[in-house]
Amino acid sequence: MNRVAITGMGIVSSLGDSQRDVHAAFCEGRSGLRPVTRFESTGVPCCLAGPVTDFDEKKYLPGRNLRPLDRLARLATSAVKLALEATGWTPELLRASEAGLALGTMFGAVHTVGEFDRGTVINGPGSASPLDFANTVLNAAAGQAAIWHGLTGINSTLTTGATAGLDAIGYATDLIRSGRAAVIVAGGVEEFSLEPVYAFERSGLLCGSHGDDPLPVPFHARRNGLAPGEGAAFVVLEDLDYALAGGRPVLAEIRGHASTLDTSGGRDGKLSVEAMARAIHIALRDAGCGPDEIDCLSASANGSVTADGREACAVACALGSRAARLPVTAVKSMLGDTLGASGAMQLIDLVETLRQGTLPGIPNLDEVDAGFPLPMAGPESRELDARIGLVNSVGAHGSCCSLVVALRK
Amino acid sequence: MRRRVVVTGVGVVSSIGLGRRQFWASLMDGRSGISPVESMDTSQHGFHRGGEVKGFTPDPWFRRLDARCMGRASQFGVAAARMALDDAGLDPLEVDAESAGVAMGTTSGEPEYLCRFDDHVVAGTLDKAGPEADLFRYLAHTIAANIAGEMGFGGVNATIPCACAAGNYAIAHAFDAIASGRSDLMLAGGADAFARVPYTGFARLGAVAPEVCRPFDRNRKGMIPGEGAAVLVLEPMEHALRRGSLIWAEIGGYGLSCDAYHMTSAHPEGAGAARAMTSAMARSGIGPDDVSYISAHGTGTASNDRLETIAVKRAFRESAYRTPISSIKSMLGHTMGAASAIEAAVCTVAIHENRVPATMNFEEPDPECDLDYVPNRARECDVRVAMSNAFAFGGANSSLIFKRFED
Repeated sequence: MNRVAITGMGIVSSLGDSQRDVHAAFCEGRSGLRPVTRFESTGVPCCLAGPVTDFDEKKYLPGRNLRPLDRLARLATSAVKLALEATGWTPELLRASEAGLALGTMFGAVHTVGEFDRGTVINGPGSASPLDFANTVLNAAAGQAAIWHGLTGINSTLTTGATAGLDAIGYATDLIRSGRAAVIVAGGVEEFSLEPVYAFERSGLLCGSHGDDPLPVPFHARRNGLAPGEGAAFVVLEDLDYALAGGRPVLAEIRGHASTLDTSGGRDGKLSVEAMARAIHIALRDAGCGPDEIDCLSASANGSVTADGREACAVACALGSRAARLPVTAVKSMLGDTLGASGAMQLIDLVETLRQGTLPGIPNLDEVDAGFPLPMAGPESRELDARIGLVNSVGAHGSCCSLVVALRK
Repeated sequence: MRRRVVVTGVGVVSSIGLGRRQFWASLMDGRSGISPVESMDTSQHGFHRGGEVKGFTPDPWFRRLDARCMGRASQFGVAAARMALDDAGLDPLEVDAESAGVAMGTTSGEPEYLCRFDDHVVAGTLDKAGPEADLFRYLAHTIAANIAGEMGFGGVNATIPCACAAGNYAIAHAFDAIASGRSDLMLAGGADAFARVPYTGFARLGAVAPEVCRPFDRNRKGMIPGEGAAVLVLEPMEHALRRGSLIWAEIGGYGLSCDAYHMTSAHPEGAGAARAMTSAMARSGIGPDDVSYISAHGTGTASNDRLETIAVKRAFRESAYRTPISSIKSMLGHTMGAASAIEAAVCTVAIHENRVPATMNFEEPDPECDLDYVPNRARECDVRVAMSNAFAFGGANSSLIFKRFED
């Protein structure tokens, strides 16, 4: 089985477009969240959210016609560009390597599809643009990014809910391990738009939806919901030997991963905890490491009333006594939940954490419930001598994904 | 050590029949599933026909979940999954649920929820919207999640929405999950329901045939939108042998590639598609002369059929002229994300029955399409190896290889 190296990372987020800046912001406890009122005319109230407000795609994608790309594709293609450019990939080398792309997303092109459909409802089907139709297929962003960068290998889009970004990285990891591919750019993207905000708002899952203090504070005793985010994050995954032969830097290794499903779709607390714990357990087994070797955790927790507590229980269940001493961060406190992009963003920041030796705190986490099974979770960032990290990604409707990442010995 | 992967069950929901037997019998008879569209208003379009699944009732296929809480693609998917498990002689309550998973392909997810949402937005009535506009139910991943929820399967679960190649991508993913030992049982396939966005979009692209879909024919006018689902049961060979199960076929391997050329036009020399076919054959340890039958993507558009022919010749060289290739889209229309899953079911059964379906409505050969398209009549032949091709928007190409199972 081939080993899988991360040789490049790219992120476009509400807290910036370099993993160093984003990590610095996290460590200072800075938030990318702000009140968003732009959907009020449609009947969707003001909410706290983390859109990428200053996104300038021309900065990343200069010199060519951007018109065929919708916002989702621009976010994804930009983050892929950032992931590739740090290690000097040329279009020729990418083609020769038959580099692939695995893109995870939850809502995908829902805004483009919705706009297309609403246009035909208002103006009749004859008004629809064939160019826009091309972007209504759910794999359009992956196709556009492949065209832009010349990625001629496997081109896959994954939807598993909010775990899609981390699932895409796990999917690509397995393809490299088995020798199907030498290089795959993998990660996730999510666009901030009316449609996901409406879906979360109507389900009462947004922070502040019940008149509480609108702030997503993972694991807090009085947490009351999540804040929707936006962005894209991709890593360049390579067969370790291929990366070394090409002289590319190995930032970290993917050691193992697993995906499971809570078949109750999040309705049954016990099944939900079991599925999360099973994902962690199988990921550790896949990585060949024991609970005591895990140095830190990037939790999926996003401020949700039910999901955060279940995740804490699942970690305790899967890691046993290690949970009580496990340093924990939860970056959705600052980015909001970037859904399909979130797992990839967590992974990128955990690699920064391992490399820089500082784990971000969870801002405003000044009170957790008595007997909380992850007592090391707290508001302050901390210095950490860590080599192996665990990333959890949990969807509100039952999907679970866990992944073990390690610095190379 | 990679495990060998076999197909032990087949379930199909189609416009020409439910279940493997009915579907296969219709296919061998060359029956058409194209009829006037009833599920949406086509009055503003220049054509009114589609491959709708008429008279489908979901309830008989459900034991645990409420079919009304999910979209039509999920309902098709659950029905096809139930048929496939029955066909494999498996009771979902008796399998190891934690190592059983689901991988499904789709083009559109559950678009009816988004359409109702859009209707409310346009009418300014979003504050009055109910569950019909629940956008969590729109999401593509609910198709695989609903099947798993219905069957109680807690393992690997993903929907791969790679447009018109989605079924093949999902089956390839399931194949890997079993070969690598991640999963011991996979339900894999694709599902799509008729929807106004693709219907309008393909119409605006000028890709829709008004009356008849005639792939590879000189006078072909385009594709006809359709709907349906197919699910295969995949297992490690050892498990199937231990159960004494009938093995329909073995999955030899797959090839996936991307043109990285254009969103809606295939590469003019068929390079990406040929790469997928060549890679699928290499991974399966076979050459062009070993392939007994090719299930074409064969949409019936002028460009697809011409370029697919070029790509097959590029991958198969001289053998291309000796290998029967047909398109069942002549009967079903293009069932989008379900298409390659249904075609995978066809390849699987064809190997067992030693018969291949025809390309129906074939009247006049096209000088640019000069292969053996099995015109108008299903054919008996020794089907040892079948290749299933699917190509998608975004330039995603896919090719699966099914082999007759030999110990």
